[in-house]
Amino acid sequence: MTKSWSDAVAGGLGVEPVDEFGTLRADVAPDRWLTAVRAARDPLGCRFFDWLTAVDEPPDTLRLVCHLARPPRDGAQMRRLLLRTTVARTEPVLASVSDVFAGAGWHEREVREMFGVEFTRSADASSADRLLLPAGFEGHPLRKDFVLASRVAAPWPGAKEPGESDALLASGLASGRAPRRRVRPPGVPAPEDWGPSDEPR
Amino acid sequence: MSALPERSRGVIALIDDKCTSCMLCARECPSWCIHIDSHPETTAAPASGRPRTKAVLDRFAIDWSLCMYCGICIEVCPFDALEWAPAHRYAEPEAGALVHERERLTDWLPLR
Repeated sequence: MTKSWSDAVAGGLGVEPVDEFGTLRADVAPDRWLTAVRAARDPLGCRFFDWLTAVDEPPDTLRLVCHLARPPRDGAQMRRLLLRTTVARTEPVLASVSDVFAGAGWHEREVREMFGVEFTRSADASSADRLLLPAGFEGHPLRKDFVLASRVAAPWPGAKEPGESDALLASGLASGRAPRRRVRPPGVPAPEDWGPSDEPR
Repeated sequence: MSALPERSRGVIALIDDKCTSCMLCARECPSWCIHIDSHPETTAAPASGRPRTKAVLDRFAIDWSLCMYCGICIEVCPFDALEWAPAHRYAEPEAGALVHERERLTDWLPLR
């Protein structure tokens, strides 16, 4: 990593980047997101938009991550830049960068569905159409508090104790001891606590 | 065969005589792809003391159609019964055949 590229990024974005195994990472404030992406493209020359996604970081934060690259030029090798920012989980709104990179619109729609982040656009380019999820789908599947229904229903391989087998559990003779409270898989509620039920909870 | 490094992330190998059926890997696996069956066996008490019970491994299977090769099972195993091995040619014509049982999982590493 040459010092000049690092300095150029620091100058262009107004934040000091961190070198992570050859990729520069820069964290910017959410209100500087669009400005930073624009500056990364010009004057920094990151004209290749690779991807944009989010990471759910409960309890408070959704982190947006965007990978850009400056193609090789003038004998200099390709440079990678990872731009990040955070928004509040309760109010996840961020400026869209699809005016800078048109292809980012696809990624933003995906993040909107999967994480519930709303991207504000200057032009009226926003599409209400779902990209991946069926119409009427509730919730944002890549948020960590989203319950995977199939996991509530499916038997968890880790539920057995040492010395137990599927056959033993099926016969109802687990360990020959009094039934104990079983270990639950992390993030999966018990079937009696979640899902459709005839009885009010 | 190839010049792949010894610990390339090709496949997860089982060293079954080190496995105590403690279930830690199966519980930590984010993909729920490790299946373990075991039964308790009691050995007679030594001259003084009580009889000892330990779990004996009956089944250890990994479903490669679910595994995401994160290596968490290898990290958490307190007995080093799981290890990376470089083998990677185990594609199958149907998903069900990607459930590899103990016999195949113990075959990846050379005898040591």
